[in-house]
Amino acid sequence: VSTFVTILVDAVSYAAWLFLTSIGLTLVFGVLRLLNIAHGGFYSVGAYMAAYAVGLGAAAGLGPALQFAMAAIAAVAVGSVLGLIIERTVLLRLYRHPEALILIATYAVFLILEGLTKLIWGGQSLYANQPRDALGQMRLGVLQYPVYDIALIAVAIILAATVGLVLNATRIGRCVTAVVFDREISAAMGINVGRVMIGTFVVGAALGAFAGAVTAPKIAISPGIGVEVIVLAFAVVVIGGLGSIAGAVVGAVVVGVARAVTVHLFPEVELFAVYAVMAAVLAIRPHGLFATPETRRI
Amino acid sequence: MKRPSGDLTIAAIVLVAIASSLALSAIPSWIRYIAEIAVAAALAAVGVMILLRAGLLSFGQGLFYFLGAYAVAFLNRHLGVTDAVVMVLAGAAAAGIVAGALGFFIARYRGIFFSMLTLAISMVVYGVAVKISLFGGSDGFNVGMISFFGLHPRGLNLQMASFLLCLWTCAIFAIGAHVFVRSRLGKVLEAIADNEVRLEFLGTSVRDAIHIAYVAAGVLAGAAGALAGIAARHVDPSFAYWTTAGDFIFIVLLGGQASVLSPFLGSLVLETFRFIASASFPDEWQLALGAVMLVIVLFLPRGLDHVFVSLRRALTRPKARTEGDAIAEVVRP
Repeated sequence: VSTFVTILVDAVSYAAWLFLTSIGLTLVFGVLRLLNIAHGGFYSVGAYMAAYAVGLGAAAGLGPALQFAMAAIAAVAVGSVLGLIIERTVLLRLYRHPEALILIATYAVFLILEGLTKLIWGGQSLYANQPRDALGQMRLGVLQYPVYDIALIAVAIILAATVGLVLNATRIGRCVTAVVFDREISAAMGINVGRVMIGTFVVGAALGAFAGAVTAPKIAISPGIGVEVIVLAFAVVVIGGLGSIAGAVVGAVVVGVARAVTVHLFPEVELFAVYAVMAAVLAIRPHGLFATPETRRI
Repeated sequence: MKRPSGDLTIAAIVLVAIASSLALSAIPSWIRYIAEIAVAAALAAVGVMILLRAGLLSFGQGLFYFLGAYAVAFLNRHLGVTDAVVMVLAGAAAAGIVAGALGFFIARYRGIFFSMLTLAISMVVYGVAVKISLFGGSDGFNVGMISFFGLHPRGLNLQMASFLLCLWTCAIFAIGAHVFVRSRLGKVLEAIADNEVRLEFLGTSVRDAIHIAYVAAGVLAGAAGALAGIAARHVDPSFAYWTTAGDFIFIVLLGGQASVLSPFLGSLVLETFRFIASASFPDEWQLALGAVMLVIVLFLPRGLDHVFVSLRRALTRPKARTEGDAIAEVVRP
């Protein structure tokens, strides 16, 4: 029973983290139709900004809550600015080129962001664990679990609800949904598609940085943390169905459960469980679980 | 329209291969080794280019590179085969058979799903190979004695023999790929990227065409992996890791897709750049690579070979007809 509880809690907590890291990616894909490898770069920039902000806050004698708030704000601010710059300078010039080229361009941006973080903060590991330590541990049945990790589940749920609400119940959100559905008709109906695309990319970048910021207290922040995240987030998004928020939730749960089960029961297959699940899902549902079949254009 | 430059490409491949063979002893050994790895990677990249012509971006060519390399290692270790030519052919065949089997499944997928599925399969194989001692774990293992047509060269002679093997294998496979790209099927692949529904209306099986292209790309990557295994005398599971396939994609992007020669250009430039960057600024080479990639994507989106393409156009057709000219002709009485 205790193993089952552990697996369950681990799965939910991991799924929450996966959702946080992949929500920005799926939004950007939905609206811009591009797979943004630079998302991993935003994630690591967010994590480094969080470490920097937490360090500053600690030096100024602020409490852990304020430190965490500073970290989140700093990450989101820097992420948004980077997103805006990258959309304006790189993506804007490439929209009419083939998918593969844009993919490579975002990979180049990812390498540059990784290189820059390494250049600014050096190669050694940084830590931002004060907010997580301050929250302490809690008892969940038989096991001790960090409160911070449980809180992340709440953060993920709130974020999912917010994004869902904004998309479905606000004017801007409905414009975004329209653009996801059909870019040309939306433009014909008077939606400023260009502005929706910029906005979405900036929000996606900010969400990537935010994911990095909330993960920062859990990990040793070092060069290379973004690489793992990209592939995982891609898997989540592809399993759920590209561009679908509900899909990202389901994809995160599927991958979270797969990982928790393999880590605890079959540790030797943990390394590729995510890929095996992705291949299995695509074999059954070639466009992911929540994708609507696309009409082929003649 | 038949373009005469086809024969020019084959002639260029043969000439470069002959020239490099003659200059063999004049080339310093470290350049020889870099060239060997670069040329082998380029051969795998030719396969990526063939698929990309059909609009399919494979993130899983590392799998076939891995299969080719491990075919060499297993033949050598478990069956006592030492002949390099046999090993290369076996590597290509092993990769081709696996690609043929996987193709039934993969050829149904397009766009990003093709990319992610090829990535997933390759990574599953990587994950298995790292855990199973048969594959030597994450360290891999060394390739033992290698012979060439019954001869057992040693030291410098072995290096030279392996260079010649790599050079000529790549030349022969590149010519084969060139013929494939120029064949009817090659044209079909280009049409798939344009509009596959119309192609099916015309009575062509798109799935079969993609299947064949996938096998061809697998064979090329398998041969390349075998050559890499022989050149480095070492194989390890990282060949199947997605960054290997990422390298091949980058080579195609860098070199362009105008001809089978383009990946070779791209690969040589990439290896040279990597060599210079890691020697002169070891900590920032990733940053530099990203910056160079971005500059190429933004300013040379069709790849380095486009410089040659435009050059040839300028030489062969001094006065290009623009759309404006054509309209003017029609409008004029």
